[in-house]
Amino acid sequence: MRRPNRRIYDFLLLPGGIVQLLLFLVPIGAVVLFSFGTTNIVGLPKIGFTWANYSEALQSFYIPVLLRTALFAAVATVICILLGYPLAYYAARYAPRLGRVMIAATVLTWLVDYLVRIYAWTALLDDNGLINNVISDLGFGRVQMLGSNGAVVVGLVYVYLPLMVLPVYASLTDLDPALIEAGKDLYGSPRATFWHVTLPSTRRGVLGGVLLVFLPALGDFATAQFLGGPQSAMIGNVINDQFTNSGSATFGSALTVLLLIVLLVGLLVVGRFARGAISGARTGVPA
Amino acid sequence: MSATLTDQRDSAVQSRTFPWHVARRPRPRQFDRPRFLVLVSVFTMALLFVPVVVVLLYSFNGTNSLVQFGGFSLHWYSSALGNASIRTSLWTSLEIALVTTALSAVVGTMLAFGLERGSRRMVQVSDSALVARLVAPETATAIALLLLFTQLGIGLTRTAVIAGHVALCLPFVAVVIRSRVAGLNREVEEAAMDLGCTRLGAMRLVALPLLWPAIAGASMLAFVLSFDDFVTSYFISGVGVTPLPVLIYSMLRFGVTPAVNAIGVMMMILTMAVIALAVPLLRLGRRRLAVSQPD
Repeated sequence: MRRPNRRIYDFLLLPGGIVQLLLFLVPIGAVVLFSFGTTNIVGLPKIGFTWANYSEALQSFYIPVLLRTALFAAVATVICILLGYPLAYYAARYAPRLGRVMIAATVLTWLVDYLVRIYAWTALLDDNGLINNVISDLGFGRVQMLGSNGAVVVGLVYVYLPLMVLPVYASLTDLDPALIEAGKDLYGSPRATFWHVTLPSTRRGVLGGVLLVFLPALGDFATAQFLGGPQSAMIGNVINDQFTNSGSATFGSALTVLLLIVLLVGLLVVGRFARGAISGARTGVPA
Repeated sequence: MSATLTDQRDSAVQSRTFPWHVARRPRPRQFDRPRFLVLVSVFTMALLFVPVVVVLLYSFNGTNSLVQFGGFSLHWYSSALGNASIRTSLWTSLEIALVTTALSAVVGTMLAFGLERGSRRMVQVSDSALVARLVAPETATAIALLLLFTQLGIGLTRTAVIAGHVALCLPFVAVVIRSRVAGLNREVEEAAMDLGCTRLGAMRLVALPLLWPAIAGASMLAFVLSFDDFVTSYFISGVGVTPLPVLIYSMLRFGVTPAVNAIGVMMMILTMAVIALAVPLLRLGRRRLAVSQPD
């Protein structure tokens, strides 16, 4: 560059940097700080150093909640891939015009308020709801669905599915169809072409979708609150109780830190999986 | 003879569909269009739409049952619009969303320029903060803000909610605008500076008009994110500040009413209207981009 005053661009980072610092990094730091804190007589958090919150959180009662949360989020993510990828694939590859309508329709459902969308499922899954009416009309008897683990997973899938479809669709439309043709010309069966050409080429979209579904699902609490029962509470519900009802903020902080640790572990797993997919695509090992 | 027939068929296929089928040989009985793909797509679309249809249907329900449909009525719309607390919440949500949109558009545009053109170390630091923010679940970031605000004695006012929403929307806005900043032709700005523009002047007069569509799109995203946001609003809003999603939450918790469905439909129409307003702006911007960037 001829002109020396490039530092102006660093100054442009300043307002955004301050927002990030004061409204993200400092608050997260406060959570970590208070997770080691104690409470005073009236139950207000106090800075201190104790492992008590963590040992309470790592009691046998909360470990299943953490594991369940990770499991729900993971299962919902996998179902989102299984439903969203074919939809995006069909829209991108077989129906250029209808496909765009399908994707726009997907976005449209996402625009309905998050809580209203969750709540619509209570009308569907209720003991006297639409699905049960259909089932009993077919002569199968009624099934209690509301309050089960399955209902929570269905809710999570429904809430986050559009966030899987969009990045996958974007990566599929970027994919050069000549690549698929090349796979066929090399006598690859459609299945082999999909596994060795299409899927590896769109892994970025899938990965983006996985992050957009898995991460918010980990922290979700409204879905389990409205669709689940006491046996299907997620970590978000427990954290929510600590901060909004008569709970302890320091204990809630420790749970939040544990949630962030679960999230980091999840990211590492996804990262390793992604690396595997990338190297697999490079070497092109036939199945 | 058969070759020309295939050629004819090829050109027919070409003229009809673009771009996927351009070089495709006609293979009518191939595995190419698996039936399961159609089945899964139809199932997924149904899954996506059945609940929305349920919301739409029950918002016009004549009875106050959530399971039985008792005739068409606009009752829930009029009761929702006639409810003072719902109207107050709507204005609160709109105000928060508009201020959030304006703030995050300005700060986000600056951030996008900085991220794309700043010195490497500064960019690395802000980039990792942005990624961490995008990755952290909203429940965690909202609770962190709640904890900080209450510990510092900062009131949980409208301003606090706006601050939380700006922090929430900023990474998305910056990412969207940044991708466009990366695509800018720096030489046009250099030319403006050769003609006597300052660096900031070149940004304002040359780069910003080119970025207009990206900024409009990102602002639209910020508006929708803020207006529909539940988690951050829920934790940070104190007494007397009730954005619409938070009101819906308390309505769902205490005393169910199908008015929620009507509110949901009206919110969806509002967000769609915002998007519909932004689309012509985007078109305008694209035309401008086409004029100033000859290929």
